[in-house]
Amino acid sequence: MSEKEPFVQVKNMIFRYPDGTQALSNINLNIREGEFMALIGQNGSGKTTLSKCINGLFKPSSGDVIVDGQNTKTTSIVQMVRRVGYVFQNPDHQLFNSNCWDEIAYGPRNIELSEAEVKERVEEAAKVVGLSEELFAEHPFFLPKGQRQRVAIGSILALRPKVIIVDEPTTGQDAKQSLEIMDFLVDLNENHGHTVVIITHDMPIVARYAKRVVAMGNSRILADGPTAEVFSQHDILAEASLEPPQITQLAQLSGGFGFRAGTLTVTEMWEQFQALVTSF
Amino acid sequence: MRKTLLGYVPDESPIYAIHPFVKLFFLLVVSLFPMFITPPEWNLFLMLFLLGAMWYSKVNMSTLRIYVPVAVSMGTIILLSYTVLGGTHPEYQLLYKIAGIKIYWERIRDAIVVYFRILPMIFSMVFFLSTSRERDVIVAMRSIRLPFIVTYIFAMSLRAAGMVLEDFHIVRQAEKARGFDPAGKSLYYKIRQYVMYMIPLFALSLRRSEDFTNALVARGYAFTGEASRVKRADYVLTHYTFTTLDMVLTIIIGLSFVAILYLRYGLGYLDLDSSWFLSWLQGAIT
Amino acid sequence: MAPIIEVKDYTWRYLHTTEPALKNINLQIEEGTFLGIIGPNGSGKTTLANSIDGLIPGQYHGIKKGVVNIRGKEVEDYAKGSLQRTIGMVFSDPEAQFTAMTVEDELVFGMENLGMTIPEIRERLAWVTELTGLAPLIDKPPYEISGGQKQRVALAAVLAMKPEILILDEPTSMLDPISRKQVFAVLSKMKQEQNSTIVVIEHSLENLVPLADRMALLYAGELLFEDETHHFFQRMDLLLEKDVLPPGALHFFHHLIQAGYYNGRIPLTAVDAAEKLAQIMKKSVEEAKS
Repeated sequence: MSEKEPFVQVKNMIFRYPDGTQALSNINLNIREGEFMALIGQNGSGKTTLSKCINGLFKPSSGDVIVDGQNTKTTSIVQMVRRVGYVFQNPDHQLFNSNCWDEIAYGPRNIELSEAEVKERVEEAAKVVGLSEELFAEHPFFLPKGQRQRVAIGSILALRPKVIIVDEPTTGQDAKQSLEIMDFLVDLNENHGHTVVIITHDMPIVARYAKRVVAMGNSRILADGPTAEVFSQHDILAEASLEPPQITQLAQLSGGFGFRAGTLTVTEMWEQFQALVTSF
Repeated sequence: MRKTLLGYVPDESPIYAIHPFVKLFFLLVVSLFPMFITPPEWNLFLMLFLLGAMWYSKVNMSTLRIYVPVAVSMGTIILLSYTVLGGTHPEYQLLYKIAGIKIYWERIRDAIVVYFRILPMIFSMVFFLSTSRERDVIVAMRSIRLPFIVTYIFAMSLRAAGMVLEDFHIVRQAEKARGFDPAGKSLYYKIRQYVMYMIPLFALSLRRSEDFTNALVARGYAFTGEASRVKRADYVLTHYTFTTLDMVLTIIIGLSFVAILYLRYGLGYLDLDSSWFLSWLQGAIT
Repeated sequence: MAPIIEVKDYTWRYLHTTEPALKNINLQIEEGTFLGIIGPNGSGKTTLANSIDGLIPGQYHGIKKGVVNIRGKEVEDYAKGSLQRTIGMVFSDPEAQFTAMTVEDELVFGMENLGMTIPEIRERLAWVTELTGLAPLIDKPPYEISGGQKQRVALAAVLAMKPEILILDEPTSMLDPISRKQVFAVLSKMKQEQNSTIVVIEHSLENLVPLADRMALLYAGELLFEDETHHFFQRMDLLLEKDVLPPGALHFFHHLIQAGYYNGRIPLTAVDAAEKLAQIMKKSVEEAKS
């Protein structure tokens, strides 16, 4: 086989909660190295549960999750966190330490790296998330929310996971902060070799950044493909309680004039308009 | 299925026909019974009755398994503390002498009596918690006309505890997601990690308490001032009617308590000497 | 008629801070208006909302200058708990807003505080659960419903009190796109049927913009400008400069206007935009032919 095995393989997976309710039914999903993927869907559709199955916090009730050739059922959490990092939605749930340095060092220390390695990892992660040295001694609790989120991401990056899953990175952030955090994730993806998965309700953000979209609904995967393709599938989106961003809707309503149904950004729309107008 | 404080009870359970007040009254009164009943066989009988009540209420009996280790270890601790750690009592009947430790019949007897008193008390609590929801407790408190503020503070503390528990759950996952694995680590290490939970839990409560207070103000609630003196209806209580059945049950529970007191102090039954189980056991081991 | 909300030369500085959170705000809101407030985090949006609904100065310490009047009466002159009969507030954290042990208890709590009778409560409860689609969840405790559902409960609990003014601070932050649309549909009904005055703070503008009669931009504690929604978005250059991310169709029409293809009112929905774009396209085809 010439093609490399996908880094994450979810095979016929079912997940039930301890009380017996089925949260995920028959999931099949591959994630390859270097992807930038968005996981979208209604509240309660199973996005977060699926992510927690991928990073080994939850074990499948049946079927398998294979990450980097390892089955999550038989792999210890210490081994898993080196492969898949999961950033929780609320930074306050994941900041345990009394200063930012220890916060970022917490993961590397848990996986029992030497102090020299820990130091190297913390410095690297802090640099990537843009946390300046003056803040190392600060208590994470007193930082503004955007900064706390960066510390939370940094503390995951210090484990050097290949895949990083970020739950609702833009909730509660304003436009500028949202773009900053997304540009930062793109940087991780393009320049630091991380595979990025975002879980989000923000469709304009998905349209602008994600190359691939997985849409979930009723505990199943309803659509999986390139963003433009998924956003063109009206009936499936409706089933998932989703709708494409406004610019995509405009392009679809104006399809008769030759606008592509998979138009994702204002720039794309504007370029098409100019091309169409000059072609008349 | 409806979630109760300790588990799930199916929708068609007969327990829903009973007013929450009766359940609370049952808990408070029946858990006193063992204090006045000395013979273990009668307390065992009470326990079986409680189990029967749970079964009749369609409580998932398999959840009771988790109490077995508790019951066993509790029994062992009681037995050991009464016998091995029981000290020297020349006035008691000596049964055995093992490695210098004197085992007396009276100490074994007392251990059994205490154990079988505690078990039904725990079971009446388990019965109540597995058939009641938070709301039932609040309704029970309101139906005996406790001031609104008391029941509301109680409800809020339940809610706050629920939030902390939910947060605790996520914090533990977050800790795992950072490679924390307590398996095979020293006790000191584990305790230290548990202490670390406190930081995010404390941070979250601090941030939330402001929003929580604002939400109360937004609902028009005031602890003091003119708005606090408004005559408030109690809508939730209208869902619950105190039926004849409830009345009958309340009277039965009350009368059984009076009957036990009368049997014990009026007629002299239910004391140590009237236990045939204990006399049988004494015969068997001495 | 006098405006229902009137903010005059208003400055507020929280205790222990050096800069005022709001500087010299002047804003009048007429009865029945739907106002959208936007601006970056830290620009003072929540502070402004809390100044109108009486949490400031009631619940927070600080220094106030100027006046905030509701129905011609200053916020502090309302007796404790009485301003909430006029103003309903919905906040962004759904967890902390759920204070009771079932959805139903949460919905009736506010009504009981208002001193409503049981038949009134019953009727209002039926109305609000139908309006917000919460009927299937009525018996659920808070730990069995999702964050998005809690957000709908928070909205319903306040709507049940039928306040004349509704102030909502990021009420849909946790919701998926369709639930978000449903919340805005409820608000639109409240405006039409109850003539409620509604003030909404939101980052996500696609649903807000078509409903808002007027929009306001706050930036660094100052009210930069406030205008009728179409006029507001005519000043797109300023909005973009102040880091506002306009809905896609509006942004696209800004390009059309700048390049001289369009000079009418800026459309606020995808459907409206598609109609206007169709006219532009047809016109271009005709011009090309002639």
